[in-house]
Amino acid sequence: MLVLRGLCRGLHLAGYFSASGTIILAATLLRRARLSGLKPLAWGGFALALVAGAGWFLLQTAYFAAARNWADILNAIPIVVQDTRFGALLLGRMAALLLAVLLFQAGWTRLAALLALGGVLAEAWLGHGGAMSGAEGEVLLASAVLHLAGAALWLGTLPVLLLALRRLPGAEAAWLARCFSPLGMACVIVLVGTAAVQFVLLIGGVGALFASAYGALAGAKILALGLLTGLAARNKFSLTPSLPGSGVALRRAVALEIVLGLAVLLAAGLLLQLEPPAMTGMAGM
Amino acid sequence: MKRFLPLLAALAPVPAFAHAFLKSAEPRVGAVVATPPAQLLLTYTEELAVPFCTVTVAGPNGAQVQAAKPQPVPGHENELAVKVRITAPGKYVVTWHALSQDTHKTQGRYSFTLSP
Repeated sequence: MLVLRGLCRGLHLAGYFSASGTIILAATLLRRARLSGLKPLAWGGFALALVAGAGWFLLQTAYFAAARNWADILNAIPIVVQDTRFGALLLGRMAALLLAVLLFQAGWTRLAALLALGGVLAEAWLGHGGAMSGAEGEVLLASAVLHLAGAALWLGTLPVLLLALRRLPGAEAAWLARCFSPLGMACVIVLVGTAAVQFVLLIGGVGALFASAYGALAGAKILALGLLTGLAARNKFSLTPSLPGSGVALRRAVALEIVLGLAVLLAAGLLLQLEPPAMTGMAGM
Repeated sequence: MKRFLPLLAALAPVPAFAHAFLKSAEPRVGAVVATPPAQLLLTYTEELAVPFCTVTVAGPNGAQVQAAKPQPVPGHENELAVKVRITAPGKYVVTWHALSQDTHKTQGRYSFTLSP
């Protein structure tokens, strides 16, 4: 159940990021581009976020209530919605994304982008930092907000970037790839910096990477992030300057980034279900 | 430099209490009290989803003496109050299960003694 819960959370994030990233790129770099398929892509991300979010909600409710059957889950649903931050935030964020996609459909792209980004960032209050008080809680919460922003603006925009690279004329696609590079670099810097803060506060040391499931999964996530950064660097310094000749190679690289990004998000979903090693052994009193 | 000290302190590599663990309790953990408490107050390291938290208090003869479910403490989202009916002297064992607002469950146990 823990694994399933984590996978649902990871898939929910992937869908949410994809829908948000599509709308955000449409409101910025693709503002003047004539590109078909943006709205179906945003709706597809919303559908994935909704289905995976529903699975996550039911599994999390079953976990909260220590449910043994469907009746236990149904009885607990109103309590989860009314009395837990998880319930209120998950439903609120889904409502925000639905409204964002509807606004996007209606042509209110910038407002939709702001709303979608707000929904992405609100996820931070479901993490450790959102429930902790004191300086550590504030640092963790701030790092989670930045981490989510970096992940959504980079990983979330990759599907729409791939769509644009496939469908836009060569010169426009090359311009988009060149403009996307600084955004990607900024996101990588934010992700690495905030991951370092979380590593120090939640993992504690390199030794813990090899001594716990949390550490092993965090290690795999760091490795995948390293591969993603390597691919992004190749895109920026080798493939993008060679466009349009390197178009096929760039599209393949972005497709590989999407697969790796999904793996990172699934690992993140699982990671958030586990106990960080920095606090192992604190239970009991 | 002074203005950066709080930031440096915040970033110092100390373990974070990233689940709800018991920070303090009233009566205190392991305390010997002379008068029976009317309620227990449990303070945690994180904010709680109180409807999914449970606390049982077993008296010297093993009977449970908690009078009601744990209640939230207004203005203190990391605290639980549990009314109890304690009369007999002896050791009381408190077993708690907490759900923090970051969706994680924790549990623990401690005791205190009534010795009039």
